[in-house]
Amino acid sequence: MIAGLPLGFASPLILLGLVSLPVLWWLLRLVPPRPRRIFFPPTRLLFDIAPKEETPSRTPWWLTLLRLTLAALVIIAAAGPQWNPPIATAQASAPLALLIDDGWAAAAAWDIRMRTAEELIARAEADGRGVAIIPLSETGRDISLETPGAARVRLRQIKPQPHTVERVEALPALARFIAGTPTIDMLWLSDGVDVARGKDFVDGLAKTLDKRIVTVVEGGVPPAHALVAADNAAGGLTVKVLRARTDGGEEGLVRALDQKGLPLGEAPFAFKGSERETEAKFDLPVEIRNDIARLEVAAERSSGVVQLLDKRWRRRTVGVVTGATADTAQPLLASTFYLSRALNPFADVRLAERAAPAEAVKQFLDQNLPMLILADVGNVAGDARDRLAKWIEDGGVLVRFAGPRLAAGDDDLIPVQLRRGGRILGGSLSWEQPQQLASFSRESPFAGMPVPNDVTVTRQVLAEPDSGLTERTWATLADGTPLVTAARRGKGLIILFHVSADTRWSDLPLSGTFVEMLKRIVALSGTNALAESTTDARATRETIPPNRVLDGFGAFTAPPSTARPVPANYSGRATADHPPGFYGPPEGLLAVNTLHPADRLNPIDYAPLSTRMEVYRLGEPKDLRGPIFLAALVLLLIDALVVLWLAGGVNRLMSRRRVAAGALLIGALGLGLSGAQPASAQTAAPPAQTAPAPNPAADDFALKTTLETRLAYIVTGDAEVDGISKSGLQGLTLFLAQRTALEAGEPIGLDPARDELAFFPLIYWPIVPGAARPTPAALSKIDAYMKQGGTVLFDTRDAVMAPPGPGGESRSPGMLALREILSALDIPELEPVPRDHVLTKTFFLLKDFPGRFTSGQLWVEATPAPDEDEQARPARAGDGVSSILITSNDLAGAWAQRPDGQAMLPLVPGEPRQREYAYRAGVNIVMYTLTGNYKADQVHIPALLERLGQ
Amino acid sequence: MAASERPPETRAQEDEATRRATGGARTLAATMPRLILEARRVAATIIHGLHGRRRAGTGENFWQFRRFVSGEPASNVDWRRSARDDHLYVREHEWEAAHTVWIWPDRSASMLFASPLVWETKLDRALVVAFALAEVLVEGGERVGLPGLMRPSASRNIIEKLAETIVHDPTERASLPPTFAPSPLSEVVVLSDLWSPIDDVRRTLAQLSATGANGHVIQIVDPAEESFPYSGRIEFREPEGGGMITAGRAEMWRTDYAARVARHRAEIRAETERLGWSFVIHRTDRPAAELLLALHARMGAGNGTGTSRWQALTQAGGAA
Repeated sequence: MIAGLPLGFASPLILLGLVSLPVLWWLLRLVPPRPRRIFFPPTRLLFDIAPKEETPSRTPWWLTLLRLTLAALVIIAAAGPQWNPPIATAQASAPLALLIDDGWAAAAAWDIRMRTAEELIARAEADGRGVAIIPLSETGRDISLETPGAARVRLRQIKPQPHTVERVEALPALARFIAGTPTIDMLWLSDGVDVARGKDFVDGLAKTLDKRIVTVVEGGVPPAHALVAADNAAGGLTVKVLRARTDGGEEGLVRALDQKGLPLGEAPFAFKGSERETEAKFDLPVEIRNDIARLEVAAERSSGVVQLLDKRWRRRTVGVVTGATADTAQPLLASTFYLSRALNPFADVRLAERAAPAEAVKQFLDQNLPMLILADVGNVAGDARDRLAKWIEDGGVLVRFAGPRLAAGDDDLIPVQLRRGGRILGGSLSWEQPQQLASFSRESPFAGMPVPNDVTVTRQVLAEPDSGLTERTWATLADGTPLVTAARRGKGLIILFHVSADTRWSDLPLSGTFVEMLKRIVALSGTNALAESTTDARATRETIPPNRVLDGFGAFTAPPSTARPVPANYSGRATADHPPGFYGPPEGLLAVNTLHPADRLNPIDYAPLSTRMEVYRLGEPKDLRGPIFLAALVLLLIDALVVLWLAGGVNRLMSRRRVAAGALLIGALGLGLSGAQPASAQTAAPPAQTAPAPNPAADDFALKTTLETRLAYIVTGDAEVDGISKSGLQGLTLFLAQRTALEAGEPIGLDPARDELAFFPLIYWPIVPGAARPTPAALSKIDAYMKQGGTVLFDTRDAVMAPPGPGGESRSPGMLALREILSALDIPELEPVPRDHVLTKTFFLLKDFPGRFTSGQLWVEATPAPDEDEQARPARAGDGVSSILITSNDLAGAWAQRPDGQAMLPLVPGEPRQREYAYRAGVNIVMYTLTGNYKADQVHIPALLERLGQ
Repeated sequence: MAASERPPETRAQEDEATRRATGGARTLAATMPRLILEARRVAATIIHGLHGRRRAGTGENFWQFRRFVSGEPASNVDWRRSARDDHLYVREHEWEAAHTVWIWPDRSASMLFASPLVWETKLDRALVVAFALAEVLVEGGERVGLPGLMRPSASRNIIEKLAETIVHDPTERASLPPTFAPSPLSEVVVLSDLWSPIDDVRRTLAQLSATGANGHVIQIVDPAEESFPYSGRIEFREPEGGGMITAGRAEMWRTDYAARVARHRAEIRAETERLGWSFVIHRTDRPAAELLLALHARMGAGNGTGTSRWQALTQAGGAA
C-alpha cells in the first residue's frame, strides 16, 4: 500500500532500480543523436563557415525527460504494480481469525466486506491456514478454527443484524478462543462505528490479545450513516443524520415513504467539514407529513438509515369541548360540526359526547391531547381548571371560541381581558353594519394568508383596550377590533376567537380561511412534549408482538422467530430480541428504531490496540503491468518519431514522396495497438443508427403527384379493369378541363400497400369480386387516409347484376366483396345521396349519378338530420367531405374513352345524354372532394347580399 | 591514371550518363538554330571554315564592291569594275573562317550529385549541353575538341565521336580542364560545378587564357547547392577529397552558406571579367535548352547588346 492509494507492488525491491535514473540522465544528456550523412559537393565551402557555427551536441531536455519516464515506467512495470492489492496479513502461517462487524453499520457496504473476507479465506486456503470466523453479534457460540472451506460456508450464512451490535458481549468467547489458540493472526473487518461501548471492547480486546498485532480493515467504502430523532414539529419534519467519520463534506438525500412504501418527498442533507451530525428537513404540508411512516437515506441500505415513524409522529389529536348541550341536538348547526369538518383534513378530532365541559376537559387531559378547543365554554370549573392551566404551562394549545356563555362567564384562561359585567349589555356588541376581516398580524402564524373579503362578523366579544392588546392580536376586523387574540402561557398557548365557532355570530366558519387558520394553529401544537400514550398506565403492562421488522439492510421482512414482543411504551434502542420494525396491530403500530434519539455515532478509537490499518478494496486486484508496459511502448514510439524528426527524417520522407507509405506504417502501428486492446473495447457502442436515408423514389413520387392535382385509382391487378379505370379517369380529367377551372394532371394508379395516398383528393376504387383482399397494412393506410380527409369512391360496377327485389343492390357480388374490404375499416353511417345533399349542387345540378348503369345509387356518409328549428335550406352538408362514396354504376366505364375520343364501352339503358350526365356526376364528385361544403354555404349568398343592403 | 583507380559504379554511372546524353543532345541540338561563331578579329585565320561569314573577309566568294580608299594597296583594285566608271572599286570577298571550340565537360565525382529536388545529375546536364553545343557548332562549320582527349574535329557525327572518346577515357576525371594551350583564336567552353578552390580555378583560367583564347565558364549547380535545404544534424562529406564536416543544426548554416557561395561566384566572375571571358550560372532544375540558348547568344553575338545579339541570331537562323 502506498499512502492512501490502493496501489501495491509484487516485488517492491525492483523499484530500487529507479535510483539508476540519474546515471541514465547523465548518459542521455551526453550522447547526441547520430547525424545524417550526406554527400555534398560544396562541402569545401562549408569548411570556411564551420568555426562560426555552434553545434548542439546535447539531446534536448524534454527528450531526456521522455526517455527517463520511459525507463522509470519500465522499472515500475517490472516491479509488478497492482491496483487494489489484496489485503496483507500480519503473519504468513498462523491461523487466521476474522472478527466481522455485522451490525447495521456494516450493511451499507456488506458485499465489499464479504468479498474481502472471501479473498482472505481464499488466500488462507492457498497457504493452508485454518480460519476462525467470528461475527461479533454471535455471542453465545464458542469460537473454533475451521478449514477455509467450512469457514467460507459459515461466512455466507452471516447476515448483517438490524440492531446495534454490542461488541463487548463477544469478548468472553473471544478470550476463551485466544487462550486456546496462542498463535493467531487476527483481522478485524470493522465498520468503524462506535455507538456506545466501543471503547470497552477495544480495551478488552487489547487486554486479551496482549500486544499481538491486529490488522484492522476500515475505510475505503462509503461511510455508514444513521437517522435518529425524527421530529414532526410545527414547521416541518426534521430528522438528524449522523455519521461516524469526519472527513470532509458530504451531501445526500433523505427520502420519506408512506406506510405502503410510496415516496412522499425528499429532503437534502449536507455534512460540512468535520460535522458528525446534520439535519434534513421535510418542508411538506402537515397532512402529508402525517402520512410519513418511514424515512431513509437514499442510496444506502442499512437498518440504521431507516427511521420508522408511528402514530406518535402523526396527526395531532384535537379535543373539542362545547359548552352547549343543545349543540348535539342539531348536529349540522352545531359548532362542533364546523370545527370537526374544518379540522378533519389534518387532525384527529375527538368530541366530548354529552359530558359536562369540566368532565370532558379532564378526560382529554388524561388522554394527553396536544390541543383542546373549547367552543363557547364559559368556565371550566374545579380542579379541571387547574389541570388545564398546568397542561397549558406544559405546552398544550388551548383554542377558545366566544359565544354567549363565554361572554357571560368569568374566566382567566383567555389571552386578553374582555369587556364584561354590567358595563356592556350582554357583553357583546351589535352593529348596524357587519364588519369584515381586515388583516392578519405579521407576527402571527396567520401571516401571509390572503385576507378574505367574504367574511363578515355580526357579533363579537370585545377586548378591553390594553397596552399589550396589539401584540396579542393575530387578526383584526375592519374597525380595528381584534378577531383572534393569543397569549403564551409557559410552553403553551391560549388562542381566542372572538366569534363563535358556528354561523350565528359570523360566517367565518363557512370560509376556507377558517380551515387554514385552524391548520396553522394545529401545526403549532406539534411541539408537544409528552407523547400521547406514555402516561397511559395500562400500556406499561401490555406487550405487543412484532408486525414487520427490518433486516440489516433496512428492508421490511417477516419477524424472525427470535423476535419478542415489546412493551407498548417501548422507546429504547432496538436489540437482538426486539429488532427494529413495526410492532402491534396494523391500526396501532408502534415503531421501534435501530437507534435511540440520543444515540450518536463515533469513530472507533483503536489506540489501545497495536494495529495495522488496511482499507477495504472496492475492486478486484488489477495487474497494472500491462497498461504501464503499453504506456512505455507508446513513449518508445514517440521517442522514435522524435528522433526521426530531429534527424530530419520527416523531410526526407516527404521529399521522397513516401508520406503515404509512412502514414500507412503509422496507421498499421495504430491498428496493431488498437487490436491489442482487450476484447471489451470491441464491444463498444455500435455506430449510431443513422437517420433513414431519404428515399429518392419516394421523393420523385411525391413531387410527381403534388406538382399537379391528379385523380387516382386503385390498381386492382385486373388489367382490363385497370385499363378502364385509367382511361375513364383520363376522360373525366379531359371533361373537367373543358368545363371547369380544374386542369388536372394525368391520372395515376396506386397500390395502397406501397404508395403514399395523402396526395390525392379523390381515389377511385373499382371493386373486382375475385380480387384478393388488401393487406391489413394497406387497409390501415386507407383508413388513415379517409380519417385525414381523403375521399375514396368505391365502384362495384355491377348495378345490372344485382338480384332483383328490394335491397338487391346490396347483395351483388361486388357489394359482397366491398363489404369484406370495408369490414376492416372504420366506416361511418351511410345513406343514399339525399336530394338536398351538396353533392347534387357542387357544379351541375343533378338528380342522380348515373354511370354505365343507372340503377345503382350513390351512397355517402349520412349527414346529420335536418334540424327542425332550422329553416329549410336548399343544400345540406356535414362539416367535412364524405370520406367514402359508394356506387355500383361503373362510373369509370362511362367516362372511358378510346384514344380517338370515342366512347370505349356502351351504356346500358342507353338513354340520351346518359354519358353526359355520367361526366357531370364525375365533375360534381370531384368538385365535392375539392371544395367540400363550400357550395352549401354559397347558396346563402343571395340572403347575405340582401342583408348587406345590395 | 589507371582506370582501376576509379570506382566501377562511378564509371558505370558516367557511361550511362554519356549514353543518355548522346540522344538528349541530338534532340536538343535539333531545336537550336545554326550557331555561327562571331569572329572577333578581322584578321585571317589559319584554318578556313566552310561557311561564309556574310561579311567581307578572306574567302573565295564575291561579297561586294566598295570604293577604293586611299592608302590601300593598289593591287586590291578591281580594275574590271573600276573601268566602268570614274571611280576605283575594290572587290571584296566573303569572309570564310572556321573556329576551333574546346569544350570541357566536368566529369568528376562531384558532378554525379543530384539532390532530391531534381531528376538529373549535374553530369547529365553537362554532357547534354556539351554534346548539343558540339553538334550545333559542327553544323555551323566549326571544329570541336575536348581538351586532353580529342583533337578538334568537324566530323558530322561529332556526338558519337565525343561519346566514344569519353567512354573510352581511362584517366581520372578532373574537375578542371588539363593544362593546354588553345590557339589564340579558339574558344574554350568550361562546363563544371566549379566547387574547386578558387586558386585552382584562377590558375586554370589563367593558363587557358594565356594564349589569348576567348572562353565561357559555365557553372552547373544543383538547386540544393544554392538553396541548402538541409536541417537537423547532418554530416556533410566531400565526394572528392573525402573531407567532412558535421552541422548540428544545418538550417542555421543556410545564410552563411549562401553568402559563401555568393563570394565564391563573385571571385570567379571577377576572374572571368578580368580575362574578358563570360561566366554563366546554370541550375539543373532549369531546362538544358536555356543554357544552350544562352551559350548560343554569347558565342554568336559577341559584345553587342542583347537585342542586337538576338537579331543576329534570328538572321543567322533565317539564313540557315
